[in-house]
Amino acid sequence: MQAELAMGPPASEGRWATTVVARHTARKAVRSAVLWGYVFGAYLATQALAYASSYKTISERALIAKEFGTNAGISALVGPAHELQTVAGFTVWKCLAVLGVVGAVWGLLTGTRLLRGEEEAGRWELLLAGQTTRRAASAQALAGLGGGVAALWVVTAVITVLVGRSSKVDFSVSGALFLAVAVVAAAAMFLAVGALASQLAPTRRQASTCAGAVLGVSYALRMVADSGAGLDWLRWVSPLGWIEQLQPLTAPHPFALLPIAGLIAVLCWLTVRLAGERDLGGSTFPDRPGSVAHTRLCSGPLGLNIRLMRSTLVGWGVGIAAYGLILGLVAKSGGSALSSSASMKRALSRLGATGALAYLGVAFLMMAVILAIVSAGQISASRAEEAAGRLDHFLVRPVSRSSWLAGRLLVATVVLVMGGLLAGACTWLGAASQHTGVSFASVLDAGLNVVPPAVCILGIGALVFGAWPRASTVATYGVLVWSFLVELIGGVVGLNHWVLDTSLFHQMAAAPAVHPDWATGGVLVAIGAVTAVFGVTAFAHRDLRGE
Amino acid sequence: MGEMAIRTEGLSKHYGSVHAIEHLDLEVAEGEVVGYLGPNGAGKTTTIRLLLGLIRPTAGRAEIFGLDCQRQVVEAHRRLAYVAGEASLWPSLTGAETLHLLGRVQGRVDDSYRDELIGRFDLDPSKKVRAYSKGNRQKLILVAALMTRPALLVLDEPTSGLDPLMEQAFRHCVHEARERGQTIFLSSHILSEVEALCDRVGILREGLLVEMGTLAEMRHLSALTVEATFEGPVPDLSRIAGVSSVEVVGHLVRCQVRGTIEPLLKVLATSGVRELLSREPSLEELFLAQYGASSEDPDTQAHAS
Repeated sequence: MQAELAMGPPASEGRWATTVVARHTARKAVRSAVLWGYVFGAYLATQALAYASSYKTISERALIAKEFGTNAGISALVGPAHELQTVAGFTVWKCLAVLGVVGAVWGLLTGTRLLRGEEEAGRWELLLAGQTTRRAASAQALAGLGGGVAALWVVTAVITVLVGRSSKVDFSVSGALFLAVAVVAAAAMFLAVGALASQLAPTRRQASTCAGAVLGVSYALRMVADSGAGLDWLRWVSPLGWIEQLQPLTAPHPFALLPIAGLIAVLCWLTVRLAGERDLGGSTFPDRPGSVAHTRLCSGPLGLNIRLMRSTLVGWGVGIAAYGLILGLVAKSGGSALSSSASMKRALSRLGATGALAYLGVAFLMMAVILAIVSAGQISASRAEEAAGRLDHFLVRPVSRSSWLAGRLLVATVVLVMGGLLAGACTWLGAASQHTGVSFASVLDAGLNVVPPAVCILGIGALVFGAWPRASTVATYGVLVWSFLVELIGGVVGLNHWVLDTSLFHQMAAAPAVHPDWATGGVLVAIGAVTAVFGVTAFAHRDLRGE
Repeated sequence: MGEMAIRTEGLSKHYGSVHAIEHLDLEVAEGEVVGYLGPNGAGKTTTIRLLLGLIRPTAGRAEIFGLDCQRQVVEAHRRLAYVAGEASLWPSLTGAETLHLLGRVQGRVDDSYRDELIGRFDLDPSKKVRAYSKGNRQKLILVAALMTRPALLVLDEPTSGLDPLMEQAFRHCVHEARERGQTIFLSSHILSEVEALCDRVGILREGLLVEMGTLAEMRHLSALTVEATFEGPVPDLSRIAGVSSVEVVGHLVRCQVRGTIEPLLKVLATSGVRELLSREPSLEELFLAQYGASSEDPDTQAHAS
């Protein structure tokens, strides 16, 4: 990188200028990495402490190990289990696959946002202003992303080490540090995938889609490898498989870091190389500069809204359908594993359900989270239209603010209901194919049951958008993350019920394990509707605000 | 005429302690072409965003064709079109799709005029907005506004990023609009543009409207520039009533004259003048005078823009 940086002027001011992209990228990457580091750490700590306090006796732990450790359905979903009779084994098993996927998604979105996104927005042009080459700028951006990975690791590692010091958990410091490496490895690899995709594709969206496809294939390969079908070698083909091979805490294999580091190095090298061979703003595979006009949806704000979010929603739809199918497929075996654990049985008997329904009842929390993310995305998209000034084009024409916002919220609500129905229907399909014996109506109800929290978040988001526009994205995702963490941690640590009640997901019945609580769901929808009305009114009476 | 296209009464907009617009009384009659001048940050865009109802006034009110800019936004917007100086559009739409969308939202489009405008501005509507240059994006929103033939055109530095040819095309369109009786409110800091197009001019300074009138009226109040070349030595002109900013370069004298020119002429008549040139101040000089820039050296000022 030194040789490339030599392009800049020699003065000290020049040196400042030649690292400007690195610092700009690092600042943004570290900010979000620290936040996710807390989420990773909190999740990890919860799993470890929950296991340690719920399964105190050796026999309980042996039972858990026997049931989950040999269950192919669950293995395929979250990876194979090793030494489930120990806190370490259980924690690794519960965290590695889940946080790996979350980290990979964060990595690819962050990578494409900070490379292609910043370039697309023209900010690099401002930052660079001829001070450096495209190649050096990309190398700098990669260094900035490296700062993000480091921050993610540091926060995760500190929390892991602290939790490991608890006598109940008892991880060695080096073991905890290596666990943190394994947990953030996927994020690091997919940051690099996102960086390379940013060179290949001309827009941030296309780059994310491209990187997302790589993640999908990796996950699918890992799933097949772990499904017990005798294709274990496939684990060596998938980046997510390499992470499993690290086996932190239980049987550490640091050599599995080699393919991981190798992949990152190759991706970074390709990124810098391709960046040098294209124009600023261009891409290896260029965009079609024009196309035939498709004016069917260009009829007004609503049509445009549908057109612009079409591809994103199709992506979410495919994700929800796939997740639902998988849940349905593994519900039977997952359910039997759940009900054979003594304490789980106690917990589930409170729910009044057993088997597949109980499993789905627990797993549908993730469906609720997915829908809530879709919902929050709608708010941040609305804010983006305003902040970029594109909303002006409608509001200087005969379009009222309230109709614009209300229309968008209405479309979003319809999308959420469709998402819920899709989740239910696909889960039923998967379950029915295994003759699991769950009724279509109960799973469809479970699908609709996850809609109210998302609608509530939509309404709260609309209120913040109406009253404090610049805070709308942060506040909406804040409510979402808070609700998720409280629900996740609260059940384990035994949080005060006042705190638990602040989680929107806590208000949701664990359908299909129990009957959906339509009354509470109705209250959530009503809160969403009322806050939305206030939001629309506030929006109609405030100044438009740019970024 | 008769009805007011734009009327503001005591319109003010404060951002905390910053007074972006202070007690603005503005009237633009139907069919008028009014220029709105001021340096960056004087409050031009704030005024326009208030007129469009995009922001709310701290005090006072604004009307478009008698319709309140806050409460009757939709009705008012049926009669106007707006062009911003910075065009942020949907990058994935093509030019044609954008025009279709904005036309449908406005509700009425003169299709043949739209096609004529596309030709005049040399725009390729099949390209995606992402692939357009800044100038082309600007042309796109100009076409989108003009194609609806609105009763009122609100233009906020509409020609930023346009090349001189396109600037000509724009002026042509404004002339046409004016012929048809459309009202035009043009905010700009390209003074030649305002000078060429506008009947009346308002000058804004730190949120206050400091001058409003026709160019002729403004010139009348302002100084006349006189240049005289002498055959012999240059007499002392600085003590003559009304004369100021005297500048001597060899045999050439340049000075400003306020009020009647008679005392100066008397002196010149007896001093052996070979050449005499007088001209009215350009809008640029009026503008700079308004902003307290030194009017000592009109030549450099003329090149300032």
